[in-house]
Amino acid sequence: MKFRAKIVDAACLNHFTRVSTMIAKLAKTCTLRISPEKLNFVLSDRVASGGVSMWCELEQENFFSEFQMEGISAENNAIYLDLTAENLSRALKTAQNARALKIKLTNKHFPCLTVSIELLSVSSSSRVVTHDIPVKVIPRKLWKDLQEPTIPDSDVSIYLPVLKTMKSIVEKMKNISNHLIMEANLSGELNLKIETELVCITTHFKDLGNPPPASEDASQERPPEQMAEVHVDIRKLLQFLAGQQVNPTRAVCRQLKGSHTFHRGAGRLSARPPWSGAQDGPGAHLTGTENYLVSNKIVHFDLLHEDVSLQYFIPALS
Amino acid sequence: MLKCEMSGSQVKVFGKAIQALSRISDELWLDPSEKGLALRSVNSCRSAYGCVLFSPVFFQHYQWSTSVKVNDNDSTMSNLNCKLGMKSLLPIFRCPNSLERTVEKCKIFTRSDKCKVVIQFFCRHGIRRTHNLCFQESQPLQVIFEKNMCSNTLVIQPRVLAEALVLFTSSQEEVTLAVTPLSVCLKSSSDEPMDLTNSVYSEMFVGADEFDFFQIGVDTEITFCFKELKGMLIFSEATHAPIAIHFDFPGKPMALSIDDMLLEANFILATLADEPSRASSPQSLCLSQNQKRSDLMHSTHNNSKAGKNVTSKAPGCILRKAAPKRLYPSETLTNISALENCGSPTMKRANGDISEVPESSVSDTDRCQVTFFSLQFSCMFFGAVSSDQREHFNHPFDSLATASDNEEDDMNNSSSSTF
Repeated sequence: MKFRAKIVDAACLNHFTRVSTMIAKLAKTCTLRISPEKLNFVLSDRVASGGVSMWCELEQENFFSEFQMEGISAENNAIYLDLTAENLSRALKTAQNARALKIKLTNKHFPCLTVSIELLSVSSSSRVVTHDIPVKVIPRKLWKDLQEPTIPDSDVSIYLPVLKTMKSIVEKMKNISNHLIMEANLSGELNLKIETELVCITTHFKDLGNPPPASEDASQERPPEQMAEVHVDIRKLLQFLAGQQVNPTRAVCRQLKGSHTFHRGAGRLSARPPWSGAQDGPGAHLTGTENYLVSNKIVHFDLLHEDVSLQYFIPALS
Repeated sequence: MLKCEMSGSQVKVFGKAIQALSRISDELWLDPSEKGLALRSVNSCRSAYGCVLFSPVFFQHYQWSTSVKVNDNDSTMSNLNCKLGMKSLLPIFRCPNSLERTVEKCKIFTRSDKCKVVIQFFCRHGIRRTHNLCFQESQPLQVIFEKNMCSNTLVIQPRVLAEALVLFTSSQEEVTLAVTPLSVCLKSSSDEPMDLTNSVYSEMFVGADEFDFFQIGVDTEITFCFKELKGMLIFSEATHAPIAIHFDFPGKPMALSIDDMLLEANFILATLADEPSRASSPQSLCLSQNQKRSDLMHSTHNNSKAGKNVTSKAPGCILRKAAPKRLYPSETLTNISALENCGSPTMKRANGDISEVPESSVSDTDRCQVTFFSLQFSCMFFGAVSSDQREHFNHPFDSLATASDNEEDDMNNSSSSTF
């Protein structure tokens, strides 16, 4: 297994640093997948993270002036590494005014990702900084859990408003309730709602626009005014929004049907929602802060930051 | 006994000095003398010492006098033995930058009758702020360290050092400085086997031409603590003066200093002892640690006890922010009592006991912990004036003997850090 890459362009370096900072905000540890054409940061569906998953993809030639890799074998030409995202982000941050940055996979007592930076110092003599970031190589048999997610059909997909605005609103709402209801329709309207016994707060976003539908029949079936609703844990949404330092070039939110039958929750904090679905799953009790997750709906965020795509999945609460 | 006055911009520097020293310890000695006003601070583990000496020309007005205490037998000249708590002092000088703007004049004077230090700010718009601080009577500690006798000296602009330190995360306690005649390398300490999960190992090479002065007599690698260095850097940037780093072999303390016309700042940090000494028995290890500490701290107030390690009983070591591994349970306070309050009866214990102390107090895990006590400071060298100069003159090499007055010396095989 071999990997070595080099960045010489300052703009590329800054962009790569921003991406790694964003990943560090979204996940504590994640998987770095290295393939001949792409680099991916993957967070697979884990109970520990509450079912949140992430797939971030970037084309290596947009960043690296040199890129060489050799995977485990010719048929499986990829490398999967587990690392602490913050280590990488911090190492890259020290490369603010670097002349060149090299990353390579090394083995110093244990596998490391060695980031080597050539800095142009104040006195115009160059300084070399090296960071050895410990990583864990993921064996071939676990690769199947870390593949690109397939996007099932969505009820509604909508373009998001400026994420900073959304974040400040969600931040304020977090103080009142942990349970957020996102409603969207095909007329470009998005509502963020929280309901408690004492108060109900809704923020309405209008004229957001909807991306073209994936399949023809989906758009025909659904009346444009009808709101599709999904309930999410506000903290997960907030963590996602907080990771976006720069407003993306494009941001789409989809409410996806999950693997189970479609189900609409009642959305009241203390009531037990009626089950319209066929499955006999556990009920969702929403009392106070107790929430049982039922994965029948997923909120999918599809962002594009210049040339880096980020997909983030938050499971819905019932 | 002390009366001084400074302008707004001087207050800023003064405030920054206090902030830098606050990273060492929770307590500060105010030590005026004819050389100027000295601020001193020693950390609880006795592995870091900081001192900023403001010369009389720094102030707009500086007046100092000793008081003569008449005892039964003789009259002794005593300095202001003033120890202030950082908790009360730091908030007064919070935001030195804004103090520079708002304060027109600052007066500091003592009221010996009431054991108080009065700090008065004459601000804009006729506002006057007065702070009365009670102080504890305590003799200041002083470190005798011949920085000029170190074989390695580096002088660097604070900016460069600040850039270098960005590399190291706050979670990393120790940093190793490795020098050769050609280059200098700052790297994260690799004493422990690298923690698989998380620690990033970082390394930075700085070319010799980045230093204002580069003299390496001995190729060496010293490991010291990282934390307090930051405070010193902020202070040094306020004074715009280059930082001189003096060091020698591992185990011997290192000094960071700023020498300016108006002030002289010294920080002295203990460094990690060499491998061989670590491999030796816990007892001698402790002793060498002991020595290290005793080397650092010598009360110039030399009673007969001076230089002797006393007390195996460790009063609770107040660890400000020190990591647990720097805490050396019983060891830390060997000299403290002797140093601080010579009169205290609880402090002294037979020297013979000391050899016992390490065994009982240091377990195997402790041993590893004991060795970590570097402190980072920016250099502030302080040739503090300590009270009993006469004694000092009589025995100029007392401190050089390090712990030579101690019994441990015989037992100690490892290279001791001597001043």
